[in-house]
Amino acid sequence: MDLVELRRNDYTLEEVSQEVLVAFGDFFSDQCPTSLVRASQPLGFDQGLWDRLVEMGTTTMGLPESAGGDGAGMVELALVAEEFGRAIAPAPYIEHIVTSRALAAADNPALVEILAGAADGSRIVALASAPITPGAKQLVPAGAIAKDVLAFVGEDLVLFSVDTPFPHVANQGSTPLAWWDFDSVSQRTVIATGDEALRIYTRAHDERMVLTAAALVGMTEYALGLTVEFTKTRETMGVLIATLQGVAFPLTDIATNIAGARNIARKAAWYLDFSPDERPELPAIALVYASQTATHGTQQAAHLQGGLGFTVENDISMYFLRAKGWGSIAGDPNALLATIGDQVLASVK
Amino acid sequence: MDFGLVELSAEDRALQSEIRAFLAEIFTPDVFQHEHETGSGFNPKVYEALGARGWLYPELPVEQGGAGFTPVQKRIMELELIRQDARVMMMQGTSSLPMAAVRKYMDPAVADPILKECAAGRAVMCLGYSEPDGGSDIANAKVRAVQDGDMWTINGSKMWTTGAHISTYTFLITRTDPEAPKHKGITMILVPLKSEGVTIQAIRTFSGERTNIVYYEDVQVHDSMRVGGVNNGWTVLHGPLDEEHSIGLDMNGGLTDVSVGTGMCRVLGASMNEVASWAHKATGSKGQLLADDIRVRESLGAAMVDYEAGISTPGPMGRVKASDVLVKNAAALQDLVGTVGLLPMNTEGSIGNGDIEYAHRFAQGTATYGGTVEVFRTIIAQHVLGLPKAQLPGAKVFLAGKKK
Ligand SMILES: Cc1cc2nc3c(=O)[nH]c(=O)nc-3n(C[C@H](O)[C@H](O)[C@H](O)COP(=O)(O)OP(=O)(O)OC[C@H]3O[C@@H](n4cnc5c(N)ncnc54)[C@H](O)[C@@H]3O)c2cc1C
Repeated sequence: MDLVELRRNDYTLEEVSQEVLVAFGDFFSDQCPTSLVRASQPLGFDQGLWDRLVEMGTTTMGLPESAGGDGAGMVELALVAEEFGRAIAPAPYIEHIVTSRALAAADNPALVEILAGAADGSRIVALASAPITPGAKQLVPAGAIAKDVLAFVGEDLVLFSVDTPFPHVANQGSTPLAWWDFDSVSQRTVIATGDEALRIYTRAHDERMVLTAAALVGMTEYALGLTVEFTKTRETMGVLIATLQGVAFPLTDIATNIAGARNIARKAAWYLDFSPDERPELPAIALVYASQTATHGTQQAAHLQGGLGFTVENDISMYFLRAKGWGSIAGDPNALLATIGDQVLASVK
Repeated sequence: MDFGLVELSAEDRALQSEIRAFLAEIFTPDVFQHEHETGSGFNPKVYEALGARGWLYPELPVEQGGAGFTPVQKRIMELELIRQDARVMMMQGTSSLPMAAVRKYMDPAVADPILKECAAGRAVMCLGYSEPDGGSDIANAKVRAVQDGDMWTINGSKMWTTGAHISTYTFLITRTDPEAPKHKGITMILVPLKSEGVTIQAIRTFSGERTNIVYYEDVQVHDSMRVGGVNNGWTVLHGPLDEEHSIGLDMNGGLTDVSVGTGMCRVLGASMNEVASWAHKATGSKGQLLADDIRVRESLGAAMVDYEAGISTPGPMGRVKASDVLVKNAAALQDLVGTVGLLPMNTEGSIGNGDIEYAHRFAQGTATYGGTVEVFRTIIAQHVLGLPKAQLPGAKVFLAGKKK
């Protein structure tokens, strides 16, 4: 790779982006207290919150204007995702947004009705993580609340539709995961085929990785904040534990990882918006690093509250459990590492 | 937000070609050989050639010995120099810190000729901060300076004064009021290193970088070489220190690195490139091409994730992250390539002419110089997380008195 490329490295947010960040930050802190997150367990979906998100324009902002949306780019969607993750909101924001965008990109007349339902939030749509292989069920993120799931089959990108979603399966991240038996679904719409299908599918996966990375950043930052406050009041041997380097230094490492993971997620979002054919490995890097940051960060944050950090009653437990629970849904870290490595290998050829 | 390629005007493109051609001419093989042998981070021929064109500090106005470059042009220059060899340019970076303080605080009549010499590449400056007793507690410096009329008498020793042996001046932290609290009793003095009473001894590090211990014995320096007020050294020092710590960096519309860590990460990036090139040719025990080997692909991927983290983490946090990822991955890449990873420059079969072997040695120093990663974690704890300061006894000591 070129180590001295003459590129800008400018992370300053535009004013409109800043406004999006503040607006959604306020929204989630008003509308999504941790008590609501708790009450929505184990399914991880709250219809009331979803309705208010729809009212906020969340389901339309990322759709192209041709599909009745506001044409927001990935940078803004990632900022929303960061606030969404901070609140660990029980809503299928990421799945629904990336899948609706993929449906809109297919520009297929058969999808008009479904797209309208996705835009007004009445029809939740989701994305299968791997191509469908006959005879095997698949765990589908948001599959317990979505009636339409987009999946790759052979050469085709197919929308599988059901009247009743498959039943929820309990999982560590308290997300609406479900085993989908695609073989049994007869209602199928081929929305794209060949290269076009692959392009839309890959893009949707990239978007999911980037938005998940951003959500994991917000999630970890909130958990860090809880523990920073704890260490400023908890004493041992006559001093605040925050003054001990054995406590303070791990906290600085979490903060450091968050700062880097946030920048990478935003940069990856920027590339998807403005230079989608360059740095194809960035979404995977964003996800892998944010997952590491979240897994390590929430674990340390919980641990530095001692035994209290191990209790269900402590909100930090919900953050710890979702760090893995959300990160693993968006991609398999080892498989991603190999594809990132392939880009390094290709760059010197 | 902008991560796009910088669009160059026709004029800037021409300048870029001119710079590239000129650097290719002055960075001759003997320059690299000289650096390899001396580890000084300095080459008089290169510095003077650049200085003659105003290209050593090209962002300075022409009348100050620069070339009046715009931020884009300055960035072009910076990257082209890195493309040649960042190691040789170390003292350029080091000098720039005291130069800023000299310009700000000294009488222009004294400062201007000194700064011009620096810009011309005929003089460089080093940092006389750390002492044998400990460098982390920088405000606790003990080298003593006593004023008598217009002259200062300096006694004591400094350790790790990198570049002292090739520098004209050292930017020295001196203790001028031993009774005052430690931050309030220090004064900065620009000491000519050819002064009588200065003795310089080499310290060799295992990265190959040379540094020095410097003894000061009744060294006489004129008061006009004082930088800033008497006992006001802490304030004077903060400008350059903050710069070294990447605090409050002017990001120049994204035309600078996000932290000093990027420079460290380039060494990792170079190693990754070398390992990748090697993997396209080398085969494993079963004859498989290593570029197809899952272990190689995953390891390079993991290094890439860390590299990206190192160059994307801002400010003081970036300094810590970059050192951490470099230390970790330099060792991991050596493990990945096996025994050939142990072969240095100019040996049969070494990878990237010793890049992999070098990276592991180089990496270790990055955790220490410029303030250790522990000192930076302390800064992050206080300034990023707002954690309370530890109540350490030394935080309050009065140097001479050790008053209770
Ligand atoms: C190659 C090289 C080049 C250098 N160049 C220069 C130069 O040009 N000019 C200059 O002035 N100095 C220079 N230094 C010195 C460098 O800044 C110091 O080495 C560094 O600040 C640490 O000081 P020390 O080595 O005395 O270690 P100490 O300060 O004695 O520290 C020893 C160990 O204790 C840890 N430690 C110390 N204090 C704390 C604390 N409060 N909390 C937690 N841990 C702590 C440190 O992190 C370190 O691991 C250079 C050093 C090297 C190795």
